[in-house]
Amino acid sequence: MTWLTWRQYRAQAAVAALVLAAFATVLLVTGLQLAAQWHTLLASCTASRTCGNLHEGGTPLSNPLGWDLAVLSLMAPALFGVLVGAPLVAHEFETRTSDFAWAQSITRTHWLAVKVGWVLLAAAVWGGAIAALVTWWSGPRNAAFGNAFQANYFDQQGLVPVAYSVFATALGIAAGATARRTLPAIAIVIGGFIGMRLWVSQGLRMHFMTPVTTFYGVAANFNPPAGSINTGGGLINKAGQLMTGSLGNVMIDGVPSTSLPAACRQLIPASASGPNGPSGATLNAVYGCLQKAGYRQFISYQPISRYWAFQGIETGIYLAVAAALIAITFYAVLRRDA
Amino acid sequence: MSWVVWRQYRAAAAITAALVAAFAALIVVTGVQAASQWHSALAACTASRTCGNLSSSTIFLGSHAIGFLVIMTLGVPAVLGILAGAPLLAHEFETGTNQYAWTQSVTRRRWLAVKAGWLLLAAAAIGGIVSALVTWWSGPNNALQANAFNPGRFDIMGIVPVGYAVFATALGITAGALLRRTLPAIAVTLAGFIAVRAVIFIALRRSFMTPVTSYFPIGSGFTPARSAWQLTSGFVGANGQPISIPQSTNGQVLGTGVEGIPVSSLPASCQAAAGHGPLTRATYHAVLSCAQAHGIRGYVTYQPASRYWAFQGIETGIFLLLAAALIAVAFAVVSRRDA
Repeated sequence: MTWLTWRQYRAQAAVAALVLAAFATVLLVTGLQLAAQWHTLLASCTASRTCGNLHEGGTPLSNPLGWDLAVLSLMAPALFGVLVGAPLVAHEFETRTSDFAWAQSITRTHWLAVKVGWVLLAAAVWGGAIAALVTWWSGPRNAAFGNAFQANYFDQQGLVPVAYSVFATALGIAAGATARRTLPAIAIVIGGFIGMRLWVSQGLRMHFMTPVTTFYGVAANFNPPAGSINTGGGLINKAGQLMTGSLGNVMIDGVPSTSLPAACRQLIPASASGPNGPSGATLNAVYGCLQKAGYRQFISYQPISRYWAFQGIETGIYLAVAAALIAITFYAVLRRDA
Repeated sequence: MSWVVWRQYRAAAAITAALVAAFAALIVVTGVQAASQWHSALAACTASRTCGNLSSSTIFLGSHAIGFLVIMTLGVPAVLGILAGAPLLAHEFETGTNQYAWTQSVTRRRWLAVKAGWLLLAAAAIGGIVSALVTWWSGPNNALQANAFNPGRFDIMGIVPVGYAVFATALGITAGALLRRTLPAIAVTLAGFIAVRAVIFIALRRSFMTPVTSYFPIGSGFTPARSAWQLTSGFVGANGQPISIPQSTNGQVLGTGVEGIPVSSLPASCQAAAGHGPLTRATYHAVLSCAQAHGIRGYVTYQPASRYWAFQGIETGIFLLLAAALIAVAFAVVSRRDA
């Protein structure tokens, strides 16, 4: 069976290896340039003691070609699911070769287990090779901008692309086994993959673990460790209610003065509503008043130290869903009459 | 023939219509919210005379999830090419139904003309509807960030998505005609679409028209009006020769931010005027007048915002021409092939 699987997939394997090699060449060449840029930058900013000023806008640490490939790698899992996963069972049904394959001495379970096993392994290798290249390529940018935990960067690097790839392929196999036609299965992979990825990255991810919340005084400043993700924050009153309002004449700690208690609001003179904002003395008076009234600021965030925990949780979720999809596939294939 | 096409595609048409309707509902609901946010922010900042402070860092419009969905409309043409274009001929060849279809009273060319015609029209309609929704939804963000001309934003608004959709579908049809198998045709469609889009937007788009270069006196700055597409910026000497900017600044800079020039890039006589350590008010002006005396100026090269629709037209035209060439190839293949 393993030999048969290899015979059936050797052309695809050769094409995939070529695509990977081209991808690796571009990323290696541009990645070395990026690393050299980064080292020059570090050397020169160390000499002039300006390394604190590095930021994405003013730092020439990019390469359009490598960057476009890194972004495109977000859809590499879907590509594998569409071209390899979806036809795996569906194409057998469409061409009726399932009648032949299932009438051999090898049981249907064995046939499916070997094919699915090798293809999922190949999907994991595909996702892992691409993720390893993109992670290495992004090294200088991660160090300079500290954004590896942000949405989209998190999704290109580390472990998760392996799980996305296995999931997309399992989705294609299951969709093909239940829809029994390749094109509808491909449509399901595209829609299901994008839907699941959006739902997890936009809806679930920030709730994997309870965010850390830090309270601090109305006049103070607090920044979470660099690279952490803010999930909320603002000014709260003594009862813990969040003061809201997005824009106003006079802003105190990001809140329009009209949302503050009257006792503190009356400390703000009419002149404070000009383009320069309230004076330092006015601010100090208002801060003192708010402090007395029990007001505090808070920030909720997912600290950067949880990066690998989050990678692990997200990988686990996708692998669990992939396992469920493969179970559905076995059920659909075994139940069906040959 | 049109009736046959409708019968073959009515299920696909129903599913597509449902998906487009769901997308439209999401876009309209969140778009109305973003527009009202924008109007109240404008009203508040007008009252307090702080509209100059409005930027994407002080106000956030819309929702992250819908923002991602909007960016993903970049992939709509590719999906049309994969699911509608590639199987059009390839699936007939694979199942052998072309032998039946081509032995009817309808000629082969007419059969292909009607099928491809309706499909390309549908692709143009879907691309146009999605683009119209995205363009309307992005209105407040375009006003806030003035980035409608930037790569990535330009590609999902206006009329170019129609050109992309027609091109991707034509590419799928032709790849299917040549390869005669659906899956390879899908792979070629995907790779070809990404490659052609990348070549045009990385290499060609910036030079559709000769860019405008504006010079500004050193020490001040210049920002092109409204949503221009800024290509390069830098500094030139009196004869127009570019001045190289090293990454080591030694902390001495004329001007601010990206519009600043490091003192170490200036002629030696000006560097002498700067002395050591941070620039003081007096040495700053000494260096500034020295650099101005040497004729050093800053420049910004850009495509002005007024060319936005000209660029949309040129890019759409290119993709429609490519699509026409591909369809001509598909006709040649189908007409020549034995039934």
